[in-house]
Amino acid sequence: MAPPIPSPKELAQIPVDWIEERSGLVSGHKYLLFRNVPKDISWLQTLGSGLITTFLIQATTGVLLAMYYQPTPDGAFSSIQYITDTATLGWMIRGMHKWGSTMFVILLFLHMGRVFLMGSYKYPREMTWVTGAVLFLMVMFMSLTGYLLVFDQRAYWASVVAININGSAPILGPFIAEFLKVGPEFSQHTLSRFYSLHMLAVPGGIMAFIGLHLWLVIRLGVSSPPWSKHRAKAGEV
Amino acid sequence: MPRMTARERREAYQREYQFQKKTGKPFFPYAVLHDTITSLVVVALIMGLTILWHSGFGPAPTEAGGERPGGFLGPAYEAQADPGTASYDPRPEWYFFFLFQLLRIFSTPELLLFGTIIVPTMLMVLMLAWPFLDRGPERRVSRRPVSMALAIGTPIVLLALTWSGSQAPAVGGAASGHAGAALFADTGLGCASCHTLKDAGASGTVGPVLDTLNPDYKTALDFITNGKAGTAMQSYKAKGATADQIACVASYVAAWANGGAKAASVDQAKYAAACKAAGADGTTK
Repeated sequence: MAPPIPSPKELAQIPVDWIEERSGLVSGHKYLLFRNVPKDISWLQTLGSGLITTFLIQATTGVLLAMYYQPTPDGAFSSIQYITDTATLGWMIRGMHKWGSTMFVILLFLHMGRVFLMGSYKYPREMTWVTGAVLFLMVMFMSLTGYLLVFDQRAYWASVVAININGSAPILGPFIAEFLKVGPEFSQHTLSRFYSLHMLAVPGGIMAFIGLHLWLVIRLGVSSPPWSKHRAKAGEV
Repeated sequence: MPRMTARERREAYQREYQFQKKTGKPFFPYAVLHDTITSLVVVALIMGLTILWHSGFGPAPTEAGGERPGGFLGPAYEAQADPGTASYDPRPEWYFFFLFQLLRIFSTPELLLFGTIIVPTMLMVLMLAWPFLDRGPERRVSRRPVSMALAIGTPIVLLALTWSGSQAPAVGGAASGHAGAALFADTGLGCASCHTLKDAGASGTVGPVLDTLNPDYKTALDFITNGKAGTAMQSYKAKGATADQIACVASYVAAWANGGAKAASVDQAKYAAACKAAGADGTTK
Protein backbone atom coordinates (compact mmCIF):
# COMPACT_ATOMS: atom_id res chain seq x y z
CA MET A 1 0.00 0.00 0.00
CA ALA A 2 1.26 3.47 -0.88
CA PRO A 3 2.01 5.79 2.02
CA PRO A 4 -0.66 8.44 2.63
CA ILE A 5 -0.19 11.67 0.70
CA PRO A 6 1.06 14.33 3.14
CA SER A 7 -0.97 17.51 3.50
CA PRO A 8 0.71 20.84 2.57
CA LYS A 9 1.14 21.60 6.25
CA GLU A 10 2.95 18.32 6.82
CA LEU A 11 5.06 18.95 3.72
CA ALA A 12 6.16 22.31 5.08
CA GLN A 13 7.07 20.65 8.37
CA ILE A 14 9.54 18.25 6.72
CA PRO A 15 12.49 20.67 6.24
CA VAL A 16 11.86 22.18 9.69
CA ASP A 17 12.04 18.74 11.28
CA TRP A 18 15.11 17.91 9.25
CA ILE A 19 16.95 20.97 10.59
CA GLU A 20 15.69 20.46 14.16
CA GLU A 21 16.80 16.84 14.21
CA ARG A 22 20.31 17.72 13.11
CA SER A 23 20.95 21.01 14.96
CA GLY A 24 18.29 21.75 17.59
CA LEU A 25 18.13 25.24 16.08
CA VAL A 26 14.35 25.31 15.81
CA SER A 27 13.63 24.64 19.48
CA GLY A 28 16.59 26.84 20.43
CA HIS A 29 15.13 29.71 18.48
CA LYS A 30 11.70 29.07 19.99
CA TYR A 31 13.31 29.29 23.43
CA LEU A 32 14.95 32.60 22.52
CA LEU A 33 11.74 34.15 21.23
CA PHE A 34 9.30 32.89 23.82
CA ARG A 35 11.44 32.93 26.98
CA ASN A 36 9.89 35.10 29.63
CA VAL A 37 11.44 38.44 30.51
CA PRO A 38 10.49 40.47 33.60
CA LYS A 39 7.04 41.99 33.36
CA ASP A 40 8.15 45.53 34.16
CA ILE A 41 11.02 46.07 31.74
CA SER A 42 10.37 48.73 29.17
CA TRP A 43 12.03 51.39 27.00
CA LEU A 44 15.15 51.78 29.12
CA GLN A 45 16.04 48.15 28.41
CA THR A 46 15.94 48.63 24.63
CA LEU A 47 19.17 50.63 24.35
CA GLY A 48 21.17 47.45 23.87
CA SER A 49 19.12 46.41 20.86
CA GLY A 50 19.56 49.97 19.53
CA LEU A 51 23.30 49.32 19.75
CA ILE A 52 23.01 46.05 17.85
CA THR A 53 21.04 47.84 15.14
CA THR A 54 23.74 50.51 14.96
CA PHE A 55 26.40 47.81 14.71
CA LEU A 56 24.50 46.19 11.83
CA ILE A 57 24.27 49.56 10.07
CA GLN A 58 28.01 50.09 10.55
CA ALA A 59 28.77 46.59 9.26
CA THR A 60 26.52 46.90 6.19
CA THR A 61 27.59 50.40 5.20
CA GLY A 62 31.19 49.45 6.00
CA VAL A 63 31.09 46.52 3.56
CA LEU A 64 29.58 48.78 0.89
CA LEU A 65 32.23 51.46 1.48
CA ALA A 66 35.00 48.85 1.25
CA MET A 67 33.82 48.04 -2.29
CA TYR A 68 34.92 51.51 -3.42
CA TYR A 69 37.52 52.59 -0.89
CA GLN A 70 41.24 52.40 -1.72
CA PRO A 71 43.51 52.30 1.34
CA THR A 72 46.50 54.01 -0.29
CA PRO A 73 47.71 57.59 0.27
CA ASP A 74 47.09 58.38 -3.42
CA GLY A 75 43.79 56.57 -3.74
CA ALA A 76 42.10 57.10 -0.38
CA PHE A 77 41.03 60.70 -0.76
CA SER A 78 39.90 60.40 -4.37
CA SER A 79 37.91 57.25 -3.57
CA ILE A 80 36.21 59.16 -0.73
CA GLN A 81 35.45 61.93 -3.23
CA TYR A 82 34.07 59.39 -5.66
CA ILE A 83 31.85 57.83 -2.99
CA THR A 84 30.58 61.21 -1.77
CA ASP A 85 30.18 63.05 -5.06
CA THR A 86 29.60 60.51 -7.82
CA ALA A 87 28.48 57.06 -6.71
CA THR A 88 24.70 56.58 -6.56
CA LEU A 89 23.62 57.27 -2.97
CA GLY A 90 27.28 57.06 -1.99
CA TRP A 91 26.84 60.11 0.25
CA MET A 92 24.06 58.25 2.04
CA ILE A 93 26.22 55.18 2.67
CA ARG A 94 29.20 57.22 3.85
CA GLY A 95 26.97 59.57 5.84
CA MET A 96 25.24 56.73 7.63
CA HIS A 97 28.61 55.20 8.50
CA LYS A 98 29.87 58.56 9.76
CA TRP A 99 26.78 59.48 11.79
CA GLY A 100 26.28 55.88 12.81
CA SER A 101 29.61 56.03 14.63
CA THR A 102 28.47 59.11 16.54
CA MET A 103 25.19 57.41 17.41
CA PHE A 104 27.13 54.32 18.49
CA VAL A 105 29.14 56.26 21.06
CA ILE A 106 26.09 58.14 22.40
CA LEU A 107 24.06 54.94 22.75
CA LEU A 108 26.99 53.22 24.45
CA PHE A 109 27.10 55.91 27.12
CA LEU A 110 23.31 55.77 27.61
CA HIS A 111 23.24 51.97 27.80
CA MET A 112 26.12 51.94 30.25
CA GLY A 113 24.46 54.66 32.34
CA ARG A 114 21.22 52.67 32.51
CA VAL A 115 23.02 49.51 33.65
CA PHE A 116 25.01 51.52 36.18
CA LEU A 117 22.01 53.34 37.66
CA MET A 118 19.94 50.18 38.00
CA GLY A 119 22.83 48.25 39.51
CA SER A 120 22.28 45.59 36.86
CA TYR A 121 25.98 44.71 36.88
CA LYS A 122 25.72 43.13 40.33
CA TYR A 123 25.94 39.41 41.11
CA PRO A 124 25.74 37.30 39.01
CA ARG A 125 26.05 39.70 36.07
CA GLU A 126 29.62 40.96 36.61
CA MET A 127 30.91 39.30 33.45
CA THR A 128 28.15 40.84 31.39
CA TRP A 129 29.43 44.25 32.49
CA VAL A 130 33.07 43.35 31.79
CA THR A 131 32.30 42.10 28.27
CA GLY A 132 30.34 45.33 27.73
CA ALA A 133 33.27 47.42 28.94
CA VAL A 134 35.57 45.59 26.51
CA LEU A 135 33.06 46.33 23.74
CA PHE A 136 33.15 50.00 24.76
CA LEU A 137 36.95 50.11 24.43
CA MET A 138 36.85 48.32 21.08
CA VAL A 139 34.27 50.77 19.74
CA MET A 140 36.46 53.70 20.83
CA PHE A 141 39.39 52.07 19.01
CA MET A 142 37.17 51.70 15.94
CA SER A 143 36.43 55.40 15.90
CA LEU A 144 40.12 56.19 16.28
CA THR A 145 41.17 53.97 13.37
CA GLY A 146 38.18 54.91 11.20
CA TYR A 147 38.82 58.60 11.53
CA LEU A 148 42.07 58.50 9.52
CA LEU A 149 40.55 56.65 6.55
CA VAL A 150 38.80 59.70 5.06
CA PHE A 151 42.33 61.01 4.57
CA ASP A 152 41.47 64.68 4.41
CA GLN A 153 43.35 67.28 6.42
CA ARG A 154 41.21 66.87 9.52
CA ALA A 155 41.50 63.08 9.48
CA TYR A 156 45.24 63.11 8.96
CA TRP A 157 46.11 65.68 11.61
CA ALA A 158 43.75 64.28 14.21
CA SER A 159 45.45 60.90 13.76
CA VAL A 160 48.92 62.43 13.99
CA VAL A 161 47.92 64.06 17.28
CA ALA A 162 46.34 60.86 18.61
CA ILE A 163 49.40 58.77 17.77
CA ASN A 164 51.78 61.32 19.23
CA ILE A 165 49.74 61.40 22.44
CA ASN A 166 50.19 57.64 22.55
CA GLY A 167 53.86 57.97 21.84
CA SER A 168 54.40 60.33 24.76
CA ALA A 169 53.31 57.67 27.25
CA PRO A 170 56.18 56.00 29.09
CA ILE A 171 57.58 52.51 28.45
CA LEU A 172 55.02 51.04 26.04
CA GLY A 173 53.95 54.36 24.47
CA PRO A 174 56.66 54.60 21.80
CA PHE A 175 56.16 50.96 20.85
CA ILE A 176 52.40 51.36 20.43
CA ALA A 177 52.96 54.53 18.43
CA GLU A 178 55.48 52.76 16.20
CA PHE A 179 53.15 49.80 15.81
CA LEU A 180 50.30 52.07 14.70
CA LYS A 181 52.50 54.15 12.42
CA VAL A 182 54.38 51.09 11.09
CA GLY A 183 57.78 52.61 11.79
CA PRO A 184 59.02 55.90 13.17
CA GLU A 185 57.13 58.06 10.67
CA PHE A 186 53.64 58.25 9.24
CA SER A 187 53.72 56.43 5.89
CA GLN A 188 51.52 54.66 3.38
CA HIS A 189 51.68 51.59 5.60
CA THR A 190 50.00 53.53 8.42
CA LEU A 191 46.88 53.90 6.33
CA SER A 192 46.69 50.23 5.34
CA ARG A 193 47.36 49.15 8.92
CA PHE A 194 44.53 51.33 10.21
CA TYR A 195 42.32 50.01 7.43
CA SER A 196 43.06 46.39 8.28
CA LEU A 197 42.49 46.93 12.01
CA HIS A 198 39.33 48.91 11.32
CA MET A 199 37.65 46.53 8.92
CA LEU A 200 39.02 43.09 9.81
CA ALA A 201 40.56 42.69 13.24
CA VAL A 202 38.46 44.84 15.57
CA PRO A 203 35.04 44.08 13.99
CA GLY A 204 35.78 40.39 14.49
CA GLY A 205 36.47 41.05 18.15
CA ILE A 206 33.33 43.15 18.46
CA MET A 207 31.16 40.41 16.96
CA ALA A 208 32.66 37.80 19.29
CA PHE A 209 32.05 39.98 22.32
CA ILE A 210 28.51 40.90 21.26
CA GLY A 211 27.82 37.16 21.05
CA LEU A 212 29.28 36.56 24.50
CA HIS A 213 27.46 39.56 25.95
CA LEU A 214 24.09 38.41 24.57
CA TRP A 215 24.63 34.84 25.66
CA LEU A 216 25.21 36.04 29.22
CA VAL A 217 22.12 38.28 29.10
CA ILE A 218 19.94 35.37 27.96
CA ARG A 219 21.47 32.85 30.34
CA LEU A 220 21.21 35.03 33.45
CA GLY A 221 17.89 36.64 32.52
CA VAL A 222 17.21 40.34 32.05
CA SER A 223 17.30 42.12 35.41
CA SER A 224 14.11 43.86 36.40
CA PRO A 225 14.32 47.44 37.70
CA PRO A 226 15.36 47.71 41.36
CA TRP A 227 12.21 49.73 42.11
CA SER A 228 9.98 47.03 40.61
CA LYS A 229 6.47 47.31 42.11
CA HIS A 230 5.53 44.03 40.52
CA ARG A 231 8.18 42.24 42.51
CA ALA A 232 7.35 44.08 45.74
CA LYS A 233 3.69 43.17 45.38
CA ALA A 234 4.57 39.51 45.07
CA GLY A 235 6.49 39.80 48.33
CA GLU A 236 9.79 38.85 46.69
CA VAL A 237 13.25 40.21 47.48
CA MET B 1 20.69 45.94 53.34
CA PRO B 2 22.81 43.47 55.34
CA ARG B 3 25.68 41.63 53.71
CA MET B 4 24.79 38.20 52.44
CA THR B 5 26.75 34.99 52.45
CA ALA B 6 27.61 33.53 49.05
CA ARG B 7 24.94 30.93 49.53
CA GLU B 8 22.22 33.44 50.48
CA ARG B 9 23.16 35.52 47.48
CA ARG B 10 22.91 32.56 45.12
CA GLU B 11 19.59 31.50 46.56
CA ALA B 12 18.18 35.00 46.39
CA TYR B 13 19.18 35.21 42.72
CA GLN B 14 17.64 31.85 41.93
CA ARG B 15 14.42 32.78 43.71
CA GLU B 16 14.29 36.01 41.74
CA TYR B 17 15.08 34.17 38.48
CA GLN B 18 12.28 31.64 39.02
CA PHE B 19 9.87 34.41 39.98
CA GLN B 20 10.62 36.47 36.87
CA LYS B 21 10.41 33.44 34.59
CA LYS B 22 7.08 32.47 36.14
CA THR B 23 5.42 35.88 36.15
CA GLY B 24 7.20 37.53 33.21
CA LYS B 25 6.02 38.31 29.70
CA PRO B 26 7.31 36.50 26.62
CA PHE B 27 10.21 38.21 24.83
CA PHE B 28 8.19 37.94 21.63
CA PRO B 29 6.12 40.00 20.98
CA TYR B 30 6.40 42.37 23.99
CA ALA B 31 10.12 43.13 24.29
CA VAL B 32 10.59 42.66 20.54
CA LEU B 33 8.03 45.39 19.88
CA HIS B 34 9.86 47.91 22.07
CA ASP B 35 13.24 46.86 20.67
CA THR B 36 12.01 47.25 17.11
CA ILE B 37 10.63 50.73 17.76
CA THR B 38 13.89 51.85 19.41
CA SER B 39 15.87 50.41 16.50
CA LEU B 40 13.68 52.22 13.99
CA VAL B 41 14.17 55.49 15.88
CA VAL B 42 17.93 54.92 15.83
CA VAL B 43 17.91 54.24 12.08
CA ALA B 44 15.73 57.32 11.51
CA LEU B 45 18.08 59.51 13.56
CA ILE B 46 21.14 58.29 11.66
CA MET B 47 19.46 58.79 8.30
CA GLY B 48 18.10 62.16 9.38
CA LEU B 49 21.55 63.38 10.42
CA THR B 50 22.96 62.10 7.12
CA ILE B 51 20.32 63.91 5.07
CA LEU B 52 20.81 67.14 7.06
CA TRP B 53 24.57 66.84 6.61
CA HIS B 54 24.14 66.24 2.87
CA SER B 55 21.69 69.11 2.43
CA GLY B 56 24.42 71.53 3.54
CA PHE B 57 26.98 70.36 0.95
CA GLY B 58 28.50 72.98 -1.31
CA PRO B 59 29.57 72.25 -4.87
CA ALA B 60 32.12 69.49 -5.47
CA PRO B 61 35.64 70.87 -5.98
CA THR B 62 36.93 71.27 -9.50
CA GLU B 63 40.62 70.88 -8.71
CA ALA B 64 42.08 67.56 -7.51
CA GLY B 65 42.41 67.22 -3.74
CA GLY B 66 40.10 70.17 -3.04
CA GLU B 67 37.63 70.42 -0.19
CA ARG B 68 33.86 70.26 -0.40
CA PRO B 69 32.28 72.60 2.14
CA GLY B 70 29.16 71.80 4.12
CA GLY B 71 26.66 73.33 6.50
CA PHE B 72 26.53 73.32 10.30
CA LEU B 73 27.08 69.55 10.43
CA GLY B 74 30.51 69.95 8.87
CA PRO B 75 32.02 69.66 5.41
CA ALA B 76 31.61 66.65 3.11
CA TYR B 77 35.38 66.43 3.31
CA GLU B 78 38.24 68.85 3.82
CA ALA B 79 41.15 69.19 1.41
CA GLN B 80 43.29 66.11 0.84
CA ALA B 81 45.70 65.25 3.66
CA ASP B 82 48.97 67.11 3.25
CA PRO B 83 51.75 66.10 5.65
CA GLY B 84 53.64 69.25 4.64
CA THR B 85 51.15 71.70 6.18
CA ALA B 86 52.57 73.49 9.18
CA SER B 87 49.62 75.57 10.23
CA TYR B 88 46.73 73.12 10.37
CA ASP B 89 44.78 73.05 13.63
CA PRO B 90 44.51 69.37 14.49
CA ARG B 91 41.49 68.28 16.46
CA PRO B 92 40.27 64.82 17.36
CA GLU B 93 36.74 63.54 16.74
CA TRP B 94 34.31 64.98 19.31
CA TYR B 95 34.20 61.91 21.52
CA PHE B 96 37.91 62.22 22.16
CA PHE B 97 37.61 65.88 23.18
CA PHE B 98 37.60 64.93 26.86
CA LEU B 99 40.97 63.15 26.51
CA PHE B 100 42.28 66.03 24.44
CA GLN B 101 41.23 68.44 27.19
CA LEU B 102 42.79 66.24 29.89
CA LEU B 103 46.07 66.58 28.03
CA ARG B 104 45.69 70.33 27.95
CA ILE B 105 45.14 70.40 31.72
CA PHE B 106 48.08 68.11 32.46
CA SER B 107 50.29 69.77 29.91
CA THR B 108 53.49 70.61 31.79
CA PRO B 109 56.17 67.99 31.21
CA GLU B 110 55.99 66.83 34.85
CA LEU B 111 52.24 66.26 34.66
CA LEU B 112 52.05 64.93 31.11
CA LEU B 113 52.33 61.41 32.46
CA PHE B 114 49.05 61.96 34.32
CA GLY B 115 47.19 63.10 31.25
CA THR B 116 48.47 60.47 28.85
CA ILE B 117 48.64 57.40 31.05
CA ILE B 118 47.69 57.60 34.68
CA VAL B 119 44.23 59.18 34.44
CA PRO B 120 43.03 57.26 31.34
CA THR B 121 44.40 53.97 32.70
CA MET B 122 42.76 54.54 36.07
CA LEU B 123 39.44 55.29 34.38
CA MET B 124 39.76 52.18 32.23
CA VAL B 125 40.61 49.92 35.16
CA LEU B 126 37.85 51.47 37.25
CA MET B 127 35.35 50.77 34.50
CA LEU B 128 36.45 47.15 34.00
CA ALA B 129 36.70 46.39 37.71
CA TRP B 130 33.59 48.26 38.86
CA PRO B 131 31.34 45.22 39.52
CA PHE B 132 34.10 43.75 41.70
CA LEU B 133 34.45 46.96 43.71
CA ASP B 134 30.74 47.55 44.28
CA ARG B 135 29.59 44.15 45.49
CA GLY B 136 26.80 44.96 47.89
CA PRO B 137 23.39 43.51 47.09
CA GLU B 138 21.67 46.92 47.13
CA ARG B 139 20.57 47.95 43.63
CA ARG B 140 18.58 51.12 44.30
CA VAL B 141 20.84 54.03 43.38
CA SER B 142 19.31 56.20 46.10
CA ARG B 143 20.91 53.88 48.65
CA ARG B 144 24.28 53.65 46.88
CA PRO B 145 25.88 57.03 47.70
CA VAL B 146 29.18 56.35 45.91
CA SER B 147 27.41 55.17 42.77
CA MET B 148 25.07 58.14 42.99
CA ALA B 149 28.01 60.54 43.19
CA LEU B 150 29.68 58.82 40.22
CA ALA B 151 26.45 58.77 38.24
CA ILE B 152 26.03 62.52 38.68
CA GLY B 153 29.71 63.48 38.60
CA THR B 154 30.94 61.48 35.61
CA PRO B 155 28.54 62.95 33.01
CA ILE B 156 29.14 66.47 34.34
CA VAL B 157 32.92 66.10 34.22
CA LEU B 158 32.81 64.40 30.79
CA LEU B 159 30.48 67.03 29.36
CA ALA B 160 32.56 69.86 30.83
CA LEU B 161 35.80 68.38 29.46
CA THR B 162 34.16 67.75 26.07
CA TRP B 163 32.83 71.30 25.97
CA SER B 164 36.10 72.97 26.93
CA GLY B 165 37.97 70.60 24.62
CA SER B 166 35.79 71.74 21.74
CA GLN B 167 36.44 75.40 22.62
CA ALA B 168 40.20 74.94 22.99
CA PRO B 169 42.31 77.40 21.05
CA ALA B 170 44.13 76.14 18.01
CA VAL B 171 47.07 73.89 18.66
CA GLY B 172 49.01 74.70 15.54
CA GLY B 173 46.63 77.18 13.98
CA ALA B 174 48.85 80.18 14.52
CA ALA B 175 48.12 83.24 12.42
CA SER B 176 51.75 83.24 11.32
CA GLY B 177 51.49 79.71 9.91
CA HIS B 178 54.99 79.20 11.30
CA ALA B 179 55.88 75.56 11.91
CA GLY B 180 57.40 76.56 15.25
CA ALA B 181 53.92 77.39 16.57
CA ALA B 182 53.10 73.70 16.76
CA LEU B 183 56.33 73.01 18.64
CA PHE B 184 55.44 75.83 21.00
CA ALA B 185 52.08 74.21 21.79
CA ASP B 186 51.24 71.59 24.38
CA THR B 187 51.54 68.74 21.92
CA GLY B 188 55.05 69.90 21.05
CA LEU B 189 57.61 71.05 23.61
CA GLY B 190 54.92 72.47 25.87
CA CYS B 191 56.10 76.13 26.01
CA ALA B 192 52.45 77.21 25.87
CA SER B 193 51.67 75.85 29.30
CA CYS B 194 54.00 78.44 30.94
CA HIS B 195 54.24 81.30 28.46
CA THR B 196 51.76 83.62 26.85
CA LEU B 197 52.24 84.16 23.13
CA LYS B 198 49.29 85.48 21.25
CA ASP B 199 50.18 84.12 17.84
CA ALA B 200 50.32 80.56 19.18
CA GLY B 201 47.06 80.99 21.09
CA ALA B 202 49.10 80.36 24.27
CA SER B 203 48.12 81.88 27.60
CA GLY B 204 50.42 80.28 30.19
CA THR B 205 51.19 82.40 33.26
CA VAL B 206 54.13 80.62 34.90
CA GLY B 207 56.85 82.30 32.85
CA PRO B 208 57.14 85.79 31.35
CA VAL B 209 54.72 86.95 28.67
CA LEU B 210 56.76 86.54 25.50
CA ASP B 211 54.79 89.19 23.64
CA THR B 212 56.10 91.69 26.21
CA LEU B 213 59.57 90.22 26.67
CA ASN B 214 60.07 90.12 22.92
CA PRO B 215 63.41 88.25 22.90
CA ASP B 216 65.72 88.13 19.91
CA TYR B 217 66.75 84.83 18.32
CA LYS B 218 70.02 84.48 20.23
CA THR B 219 68.41 85.04 23.66
CA ALA B 220 65.55 82.68 22.89
CA LEU B 221 67.95 80.02 21.64
CA ASP B 222 70.13 80.36 24.75
CA PHE B 223 67.21 80.17 27.21
CA ILE B 224 65.54 77.24 25.49
CA THR B 225 68.80 75.34 25.13
CA ASN B 226 70.26 75.96 28.58
CA GLY B 227 67.34 77.11 30.69
CA LYS B 228 67.70 80.01 33.08
CA ALA B 229 69.15 79.43 36.53
CA GLY B 230 66.94 80.48 39.42
CA THR B 231 63.71 80.34 37.37
CA ALA B 232 61.34 77.60 36.33
CA MET B 233 62.78 77.73 32.79
CA GLN B 234 64.53 74.44 32.23
CA SER B 235 67.08 73.32 29.69
CA TYR B 236 65.17 71.74 26.84
CA LYS B 237 68.40 70.33 25.54
CA ALA B 238 68.70 68.35 28.75
CA LYS B 239 65.05 67.36 28.40
CA GLY B 240 65.77 65.72 25.07
CA ALA B 241 64.68 68.32 22.51
CA THR B 242 66.79 68.17 19.34
CA ALA B 243 68.91 71.10 18.15
CA ASP B 244 66.56 71.46 15.16
CA GLN B 245 63.49 71.67 17.35
CA ILE B 246 65.11 74.32 19.53
CA ALA B 247 66.30 76.37 16.56
CA CYS B 248 62.86 76.18 14.97
CA VAL B 249 60.94 77.25 18.05
CA ALA B 250 63.50 79.98 18.87
CA SER B 251 63.15 81.44 15.38
CA TYR B 252 59.40 81.36 15.84
CA VAL B 253 59.45 83.15 19.18
CA ALA B 254 61.92 85.73 17.92
CA ALA B 255 59.80 86.50 14.87
CA TRP B 256 56.28 86.25 16.25
CA ALA B 257 56.37 87.48 19.83
CA ASN B 258 54.53 90.83 19.98
CA GLY B 259 52.26 89.91 17.08
CA GLY B 260 55.00 89.54 14.48
CA ALA B 261 56.10 93.18 14.69
CA LYS B 262 59.67 92.21 13.89
CA ALA B 263 58.97 89.11 11.83
CA ALA B 264 60.94 90.60 8.98
CA SER B 265 64.06 90.94 11.12
CA VAL B 266 64.37 87.16 11.44
CA ASP B 267 65.64 85.40 8.36
CA GLN B 268 63.11 82.56 8.25
CA ALA B 269 64.69 80.85 5.25
CA LYS B 270 67.69 80.24 7.46
CA TYR B 271 65.66 78.21 9.95
CA ALA B 272 63.25 76.53 7.54
CA ALA B 273 65.52 73.50 7.30
CA ALA B 274 65.59 73.17 11.10
CA CYS B 275 61.80 73.29 11.23
CA LYS B 276 61.57 70.70 8.52
CA ALA B 277 64.01 68.42 10.29
CA ALA B 278 62.14 68.95 13.56
CA GLY B 279 59.09 67.40 11.91
CA ALA B 280 56.77 69.45 9.79
CA ASP B 281 53.82 68.57 12.00
CA GLY B 282 55.68 70.04 14.95
CA THR B 283 54.18 67.46 17.26
CA THR B 284 57.23 65.20 17.41
CA LYS B 285 58.35 64.93 20.98
